[in-house]
Amino acid sequence: MSAAVAGAQPYALLGASAPDFTLKATSGTNFRLAEYRGQVVALAFWGSRCGQCGAQLAAVSRLVDTYRTAGFAALAVDVDDDLAAAARFAVAHPVSFPVLLDPAKDVARAYRIDNLPMLLLVDRGGTIRWMARDYGSDSGNGYLQQVRTLLDE
Amino acid sequence: MKHSVTLPAILCTLLASWAAGAGESTPVPPGAAAPAAAPATAPAAPDTRALDEEIQSIKKDTVDLNRDLFVLEEELLFPANTQVAVFLSMDVGDFFALDSVELRIDDKQVAKHLYTPREAEALLKGGVQRLYLGNLKVGGHEIVALFTGKGPHGQDYSRGATLKFEKSVGAKYLELKISDRQAKQQPEFEIRDWE
Repeated sequence: MSAAVAGAQPYALLGASAPDFTLKATSGTNFRLAEYRGQVVALAFWGSRCGQCGAQLAAVSRLVDTYRTAGFAALAVDVDDDLAAAARFAVAHPVSFPVLLDPAKDVARAYRIDNLPMLLLVDRGGTIRWMARDYGSDSGNGYLQQVRTLLDE
Repeated sequence: MKHSVTLPAILCTLLASWAAGAGESTPVPPGAAAPAAAPATAPAAPDTRALDEEIQSIKKDTVDLNRDLFVLEEELLFPANTQVAVFLSMDVGDFFALDSVELRIDDKQVAKHLYTPREAEALLKGGVQRLYLGNLKVGGHEIVALFTGKGPHGQDYSRGATLKFEKSVGAKYLELKISDRQAKQQPEFEIRDWE
C-alpha cells in the first residue's frame, strides 16, 4: 500500500515503524501512540491556517464513528505555534477523537511532515502503511478504502 | 532506549541463514534473483515435528541473543563508573495526580515525560519508572526535578525538588518519590539515593 501521486515527493517513512510520542490534547489529557498498538491509527497533521484541514478532519471523524468498534482510532496533531488559534480551530471543527498539540513540532519533525494537511495510517503492528497529502473531493473514498484494507488484515 | 542500527540487521541475517538451513522459505530482498524452481519429483514428507522444534529453538536462541546484545549495548554506552540512573515512584492517592516530570542535572534538561492516564495508574499500582539513564563524571552534581499535575483540590499544581550529590566510581541510582503527606494534606516530593 502506498499513496502515489504523479510527481509527488515520496514519503521516506512508508514501511517504517511509527515513531512513538506522547502529546497533550486540548482536553488536557496526555495521549501516547504506543498505547494504540493493536489498532489501526490515523495520524492527521493539521494547522489552523490550512484551508483543507477542516474537511480532512471531518472525513477522519466520520471514519472513526463508523469503525471505532472494529479497532480504528485517530489522533489529530496540530502544529500551530499559536495555541489560541489552534483551540479556536478545534472548537470550530469538532471531531470525535483526541486533538493533540505539537507547538514545538517535535512530532512533526519525527514524522517528516512536509505538507498540511497530511494523513498517515499506522497498522496494528505500528508500521506506517499509507500517507496522503492534501485533501480533495475524492480523498474521503481513498481514506475509506485504505482503512478498510488495514482493518481487514 | 533504542538498539543500535546494526542489531536488527544482525538478527535478520542470523534468522535468514538459520531458516535457509532448516529448509524454510525466506522473504526475498528487492532486486535479488528469484529462487530456483522446486525439483520435478516431490520429496518425501518431512518430519514436521522435528522441524518445528528446531525452529522454536532457533527463535529462543534469537530472543536470548537479542537480550544479551541489549545488555551489552547498555554496558558499553553507560559503563558502571559513570552511570547514573533516576527512577520515579509514586505512593499517592488523594493529593496529587501526576501529569509530567522534567529532570535537570547541572542545569541541563536531561529528561521530560508526559504521563498518560494508564502510565499514571501503573505508577499508582506500584510501578517504578526508569526516567533517565546517562553518564556523569566523578564529582559533585545537582539534580532538579519539576513535577506538574493536579493538586488536592483539582487545581494546577507544580512543585520542584533538588538534591546535591556526589558521583563516585560506581553506578549511582537516585529515586524521585512522590507520596501523600497526611499531616499537611499535601503531596510530598523528594529525591534520594535509591536503596
